[in-house]
Amino acid sequence: MNDEKFEQELKRMAQDYHRPPDTPRDEMWSRIQAERARRRDVKKVVSLRPWMRWSLAAAAVLVLGIGIGRLSVKTPVEPPAKTDSDIAYRLAAAPYLTRTEALLTSFRAESKTGKVDKDFALQAQDLLVTTRLMLNSPAARDPRLASLLQDLETMLVQIAQLPAGNDRNDVDLINQGLDQRSVMLRLRAIGPTPGTTPRGAL
Amino acid sequence: MDDRELIARVRAGDPAAERALYDAHVDRVYRLSYRMAGDDDLARDFTQETFIRAFERLDTFRGESAFSTWLHSIATTVALNGLRKLKRFRKRETDIGEADGVTTSRTHAEPDLKKRLAQAIDALPEGYRTVFLLHDVEGYTHEEIGAALAIESGTSKAQLSRARAKLRIALADFAGEWIG
Repeated sequence: MNDEKFEQELKRMAQDYHRPPDTPRDEMWSRIQAERARRRDVKKVVSLRPWMRWSLAAAAVLVLGIGIGRLSVKTPVEPPAKTDSDIAYRLAAAPYLTRTEALLTSFRAESKTGKVDKDFALQAQDLLVTTRLMLNSPAARDPRLASLLQDLETMLVQIAQLPAGNDRNDVDLINQGLDQRSVMLRLRAIGPTPGTTPRGAL
Repeated sequence: MDDRELIARVRAGDPAAERALYDAHVDRVYRLSYRMAGDDDLARDFTQETFIRAFERLDTFRGESAFSTWLHSIATTVALNGLRKLKRFRKRETDIGEADGVTTSRTHAEPDLKKRLAQAIDALPEGYRTVFLLHDVEGYTHEEIGAALAIESGTSKAQLSRARAKLRIALADFAGEWIG
């Protein structure tokens, strides 16, 4: 067969590859709106008005003054929290979030087949330990991350506790939870995984 | 109403214009996401994330290219990043399974032509596969692909040519079935 004929046939046959169903446009739109509203709310919580910033700055100076005063009388005091440590914790969170996203994505895909492998429960248990550590770390000072971690903990507990011959209802409830709380969208929005951004417009 | 006008209205805070802009483009973004992911949940996630990012960053869209080109560049980035994460995770799972001596049985029945084609497309290197899906399956031009993937259109042509060559080799056993 010549190249031209081959290419025509290839194009025709390839139309069946991952043939998309009808676009669920209304469902997706509802979720987009919900997620955007949620992200706006988080921004409102985090963003401060100018007078609040000045108040906080004044309070910080006051705390610093007290700290220096205490140091000057040689009383052992805890060093003030540093933003560098927060950044370090955020960086440490990246691989954890990537693993969790991948686990939940695979879980959702596999659950469609009717039975979920027991490895998911084991991996969820493993991730639960890290989730708890993250919630107790300075990383959880970020309200957006803290809220996500709490939801992830709930999801992971449910997966970790799935019985061996897992009940379809249990699996459906977990998937519903993932959708209703927009967990996957929030996981992807929390920050890019270092080194994975391809060339492009972003 | 064209994209330019809709975008102006979205920037002015018109929610109906947001929905109209979404309606005008969602089919193509969802199709692209589905072709790349092969899974409805993933395709929905990728589509939703694409539009969330697009609306968040609409102020950065300068109109130097078509809105659809800009949007599809976001969509391909979202999908490729999502699929890479999933691939790494699945590889890790496979490694653990092999280390535990857990193996899945494989059937050695000869797949039919469509199955073989699907397997061959899945096995293409990421760049070749993306260009092949965009061009031969979804009908994008090389210029659109170049803009979406931040590559030269010549690179897109070269990758498509290599993708087809690899597929031809992979499907050599079925040469007799192509016509008919």
